[in-house]
Amino acid sequence: MDNFGQRVERFIALFQGASADAYISEILIGLQNTVKIAVLGLIIGIIIGTLIAAVRVMPKYKRLPRVLNAICGVYVGFFRGTPMVVQLLLFYYVALPLMEINASSVAVATAVFGMNSGAYISEIMRGGIMSVDPGQMEGGRSVGLSFSTTMIKIVIPQAVKNIIPTLGNEFITLVKETSVVSFVGATDLYVAFRKIGTSTYEFMVPYLVMALIYIVLVLLITALIKLVERRLRKSDRGR
Amino acid sequence: MIEVVNLNKSFGDLHVLKDINITIHQGEKVVVIGPSGSGKSTFLRCLNCMEDPTSGSIIFHGVNIADMKVDINVYRQKMGMVFQHFNLFNNKTVLENITLAPVYIEKKQMRSLRRRKLRGKAEETEIKSAKQIKEEANARAMKLLERVGLSDKAEAYPAQLSGGQKQRVAIVRSLAMQPEVMLFDEPTSALDPEMVGEVLEVMKDLAKSGMTMVVVTHEMGFAREVADRVLFMDDGRILEEGTPDQIFNHPQNDRLKDFLSKVL
Repeated sequence: MDNFGQRVERFIALFQGASADAYISEILIGLQNTVKIAVLGLIIGIIIGTLIAAVRVMPKYKRLPRVLNAICGVYVGFFRGTPMVVQLLLFYYVALPLMEINASSVAVATAVFGMNSGAYISEIMRGGIMSVDPGQMEGGRSVGLSFSTTMIKIVIPQAVKNIIPTLGNEFITLVKETSVVSFVGATDLYVAFRKIGTSTYEFMVPYLVMALIYIVLVLLITALIKLVERRLRKSDRGR
Repeated sequence: MIEVVNLNKSFGDLHVLKDINITIHQGEKVVVIGPSGSGKSTFLRCLNCMEDPTSGSIIFHGVNIADMKVDINVYRQKMGMVFQHFNLFNNKTVLENITLAPVYIEKKQMRSLRRRKLRGKAEETEIKSAKQIKEEANARAMKLLERVGLSDKAEAYPAQLSGGQKQRVAIVRSLAMQPEVMLFDEPTSALDPEMVGEVLEVMKDLAKSGMTMVVVTHEMGFAREVADRVLFMDDGRILEEGTPDQIFNHPQNDRLKDFLSKVL
């Protein structure tokens, strides 16, 4: 244990020494990228997921919904059927070079995280939509609103309220999964601390601190989700 | 006003409606009675294509609205519907429930009107602002709420209302579209007995104002008092129709006699 105390002291000393600024900015960049990829990924995921879920619950006597449904099926199948790392590598080293597009690794990671979580969120959202009483759709249709208008104004807001806890889960998973972006060379929290470790030959304390930061991040998100949930429950009894 | 021609409806192998033919006239109050499972709710739901008919046509405004190519939403705006379970929008206040559709639809009309005017195709007509549309709809909604005695509930959410209040709001929501006909699908069946009266009162009031109404109900007293014509349905067919006096006091069909002996 004596040893551990020394290591902690040495780790703290890093932030008082000559290259303290470099270490701090490294960690901040890592933290920023982690949060950026997770948050933007979640937003993209919610948009994609909602669209896919809406297509999946559409009545299917016409041709267009059936075609869209098939496309969405393939999309969800691909993104749920392969590991996130594989998707990341495929996009960064195969798809983009083939299309001759130059994009930063953070941008690619954000896009892949968004598309990946979109596939999962689509199923969460579909469950949420199906948990809303079908009478809500009938009520909207009976006054002459279209399927999509009723969906947007009535059903989806209620579905979102029902799935906030699960969506929170997805967000937390995203934050933690960001640690795979090092595969395409982006700096996230993990990479930042690994760098500190390799430059000092000392991994124990940096990785411990990294874990703590992740936990604090997740606790913050949990609090945030509770807040959002409470606000959305406004229309329920006993507000 | 509504003409039903050879209407058939099947759910899979279950043939629920069998060759229904009937015409509902302007201002008429038609009450549909029958045992449960007789197809009366399905019949009503076919009238505004809430259930798509398997075959046959529903002629409304000279158009067969059962045709999938028709934009059904336009016609549904003219046919109000009240459900057994109210189906109020749970995420909206009472006032929003009532004004949501009229405001949305009128705004849409104004947008297309403005576009036409820009292209010089529309003659000088008044174009209302979004705010104006909303204010007018709110004023209309408040007037309607007053009529059913619920103006103090405008800002409440559906979850805070009793069953009877919800159903009265649901009726107002339909009326706010200024429909030409109102369809009622067992509007009092999900209510506590003490709340049935307040809803029936509103419906009677509406009947007096000359609204065309088609009502599926188990309230025989209401049928007797309000109906111009009563339809008795069983096994997917209209077995007997006539004035309340004919149906309730001089029933011909054996099954109708049997049914009445059980419910009266």
